[in-house]
Amino acid sequence: MTIRKILILVPIFIIVFLLQSYFWVPTYEQQSRGNPGRLNEYITASIGDASLLNPILSADSASSEINHLVYEGLIDYNEDLRFRGRLARSWKIYEEAFFYVNEQASIPSIGRAGAEEIVELLRKANPGTRPFDPQMKASLENIEEITLLPAREFVITRQEKEGTGSGQTKEITIRVNAPARIRLVLKEVDQFLFQSLSKILGEDYFSTFKGEKYVRITPEVEPSRKMQYIQEVLPSTEHNPIIVFQLRPDVTFHDGHPFDAHDVKFTYDAIMNPKNLSPRLSDYEPVKEVTVVDPHTVRIVYKRLYSPALGTWVMGMLPEHLLNEEVLQKEAIQSGKDPEKFSMRQSRFNRHPIGCGPFVFKEWKSDQYILLDRYAQYWEGPPHYSRYFYRIIPDPLTQEMEFYAGTVDAYAVRPHQVERLKEDPTYQSFSGLSFGYSYIGYNMRREPFNDPRVRRALGMAMDVDQIIQYVLFGQGERITGPFVQQTDYYNKHIKPLPYDPQGALKLLEEAGWRRNQEGWLEKNGKRFQFTLITNSGNELRKAILTVAQDAWKQMGIDVRTDLLEWAVFIQERVNKLDFDALILGWSMGIEPDLYQLWHSSQTHPYQLNFVGFKNEAADDLIIKIRQEYDHEQQVAYCHQLHEIIAKEQPYTFLYVGKWTAVLDKRIVVKETDTEGKVIYKKITPTKTGNYMFYFNRWIKLPEAPVFSPEG
Amino acid sequence: MLSFIARNSIQKVITLFFVSVISFLVIYLAPGEPSQVDPLNPKFTPEMVERFRQQFHLDQPLYVQYAFFYGDLFTGKTVSWKDNQPVLKKVWERFKNSLWLFVVGTLLTWTLSFPIGIRSAIFRGGMYDRSATFFSYLLISIPGFFFAYVLIILVVTTLHVPVIDMETFGLGDPPWYRWIMDRVWHLLLPSLLGATGGIAVLSRYVRSQMMEVESQDYVRTARAKGVPEEQVHYKHALRNALLPFVTMFGLILPGLIGGSVIIESIFAWPGMGRMAYEAILARDYPIVLTVNFISAVLVLIGTFISDVLYMVVDPRIRL
Repeated sequence: MTIRKILILVPIFIIVFLLQSYFWVPTYEQQSRGNPGRLNEYITASIGDASLLNPILSADSASSEINHLVYEGLIDYNEDLRFRGRLARSWKIYEEAFFYVNEQASIPSIGRAGAEEIVELLRKANPGTRPFDPQMKASLENIEEITLLPAREFVITRQEKEGTGSGQTKEITIRVNAPARIRLVLKEVDQFLFQSLSKILGEDYFSTFKGEKYVRITPEVEPSRKMQYIQEVLPSTEHNPIIVFQLRPDVTFHDGHPFDAHDVKFTYDAIMNPKNLSPRLSDYEPVKEVTVVDPHTVRIVYKRLYSPALGTWVMGMLPEHLLNEEVLQKEAIQSGKDPEKFSMRQSRFNRHPIGCGPFVFKEWKSDQYILLDRYAQYWEGPPHYSRYFYRIIPDPLTQEMEFYAGTVDAYAVRPHQVERLKEDPTYQSFSGLSFGYSYIGYNMRREPFNDPRVRRALGMAMDVDQIIQYVLFGQGERITGPFVQQTDYYNKHIKPLPYDPQGALKLLEEAGWRRNQEGWLEKNGKRFQFTLITNSGNELRKAILTVAQDAWKQMGIDVRTDLLEWAVFIQERVNKLDFDALILGWSMGIEPDLYQLWHSSQTHPYQLNFVGFKNEAADDLIIKIRQEYDHEQQVAYCHQLHEIIAKEQPYTFLYVGKWTAVLDKRIVVKETDTEGKVIYKKITPTKTGNYMFYFNRWIKLPEAPVFSPEG
Repeated sequence: MLSFIARNSIQKVITLFFVSVISFLVIYLAPGEPSQVDPLNPKFTPEMVERFRQQFHLDQPLYVQYAFFYGDLFTGKTVSWKDNQPVLKKVWERFKNSLWLFVVGTLLTWTLSFPIGIRSAIFRGGMYDRSATFFSYLLISIPGFFFAYVLIILVVTTLHVPVIDMETFGLGDPPWYRWIMDRVWHLLLPSLLGATGGIAVLSRYVRSQMMEVESQDYVRTARAKGVPEEQVHYKHALRNALLPFVTMFGLILPGLIGGSVIIESIFAWPGMGRMAYEAILARDYPIVLTVNFISAVLVLIGTFISDVLYMVVDPRIRL
């Protein structure tokens, strides 16, 4: 019967048709034989898609990865995580410092003095006429030039928001009758300059300078506001660090347009343009001005000492000729959008980026892949790979399967697989420490966490090594403080807290906690009881939660635990400072600036020092680190700060995760020696564990090579 | 008939309005904020967060936001917060990808369930029927993601070919027939997985329908008349058993947009379901709401179609 036959034959036909397609799909071995071009392609996979391929607008890791290949910054980090020039050939950092002449102050040797006399005094004080202390000597020797800026008058108008409501603004006129000012040009940035000078000019020379005498504000504003304005327009002293970048002369963007200093200035202006909503705004807020000295020299003046500033120029440079106001306006009109509201954020450039990095953007299919081609005119010589595929595969297991099938070249191994895959002879593997750590943070505003002994005891009661061994499958290392372990800033002499429950009990006893008859710790009749919280959806943190609860219960502490959805956890508990203790992690940059995380001014709701760590010595060091431009000195301060934090234990620092990546064994480094002979080398990671550092020299071979033992 | 259509459409528009209000409220009142307003990124100053909120109208009262959103949606101006792409364009691109999965999956479900179910009904209680029952329940109860993993691992480790995504990466420029076959291969597993649940359920349904009809008087009459057994099954019984399935056809329409979140995420398939899921995680409200709205529309159209089909197929029913 026909119906019966149709019912049976149709599904059979469909299934056979679907199944036979298998014979057309190449296996791992056949891929490079069928398509030799595959050897010139690098395919990598990511969990999430990029959002905007514009370095000044994006903040997510996928976008950054692509931006890093398409755009080039002025500088970047070398093998040792120190800076090296990219688009900038070289750079120079020096300082201009200013102070207003304080005619009221009495100077130790000569009494009240005018501007000329002070200049004279400082000139004479130049190299060693008196027995100076070393800091003052260094400061004075560092001065290259002293000039006198005559008194002047100027007017500033400001638009101020009226009250808290938006829209209404009030115009405020500030008339300044500024006294003479002295400008000092320094060879190097010196945060202690004014301290040193005050030893010559008198301890209170700078602090008794009364700005309000020279300023008239109309209409009247409240006194606190007024002080703020005066501080802004007439600061007694001012540090202006200056960076001068020398740019490489013959770099071009992917469209052939030459790169020059105007592009640097444009990139800065674009970040500062409020219309663009750049998430990098705060990095560049300390910049006073960017000036183009000549097409290959750019000069950046900062408002104040801010040592993380140099690191911000790692960011990729935008092409001015494709994004300037005129071009954007044209695009807005073309696409029928309001030119008033149109900004770089809406531009199609963000999906078709053009930079001057080693790879040229080719194609982007949302949630599928981003394809890049090699840039033949790359200033450092083009990469060996001709194509770069960035695939988006949201599931880690299928990423792994694609790696086995040969359609992804690298795979980030998950902790429990490391043992198996690391030893696998079919792959080459690399591992290193990540830039981040997990911790238990205590709310130091609350009893009993305000006592450092209690915090230390809680840390000592936990066997962190066991967590690393069983929860992380050994893929972690202990960490003792808030710096990246691979950098010099991390103080390697500090030992992690020992696992010592007895010692912990003793510490708690010192703090007044004793066991009662039921076995709970008690102080003044109150049981030691608190709640440890973390966000749900993170299996590692959940496991740590249980381990910690168990360890502390054994000591006689009544610990409750709670898992909260991420948004609730952050908004209701962390931001509102409503917690006893929590488990969380930080991912970090290389810069050692800890202001937002550890400074005592950042302890209010919605700020990041939510544990409420306040320590004067630490505050002082945090500011000093921020203002110090000398690496060695910065390292010394960081070590001290690390020591204080390790002593205070505001967090129980748990571990820093270890990552492992496996790579197809046929991928090698290709180099040409002096005689023009091609040599293949094994990929070796840098000291800090970065195996991708020499990525531009990688290539895939048809067969896995055999290297002689010395590699 | 016309009055039915008119009445029905008015009802559906009212329903749609309530759906739009409720889904809007659910999404806006749920905790969490768009990733652009990320509170734990030290680089974000409060002023910037404030500006983002203004740009997204998050500082306005809810009803104003509602008006803004649906105003933009109907004029086609909604853009995703994540990448500033027009939402409708994104939805359309994803829809085209999901469509293939949906078509092949539906084809497999509807062609396989009938022969399996009918055979079970004819030889009820036999070895075949019992194993079919067993496997149906097995497939219904296995979680989709687990089954997917098992299949993927099996295929990749034994056959050494890629199965993820819509195509094999690094093929270069293959001739067109190869390209098509490669795509077909990549369709096979996800659509098969999408279909398994459907096959299991639908074949059970076919079986019970067939059994019910086979016990009817007219079937017995046909047998008594001496009609050949095959004709009894396929002509008299099957035709009548098919009635309810015609109406079910209208109801598969919403599956078009919902797609399968899990299957699409596992297979890195750039489809609708995955986009909606990722948008929810990133609190990309315009995408979530648009997808929500479109699927609501599809559900309503689907029920409408099945109502109409019912009338067409079964003349006894008058609405």
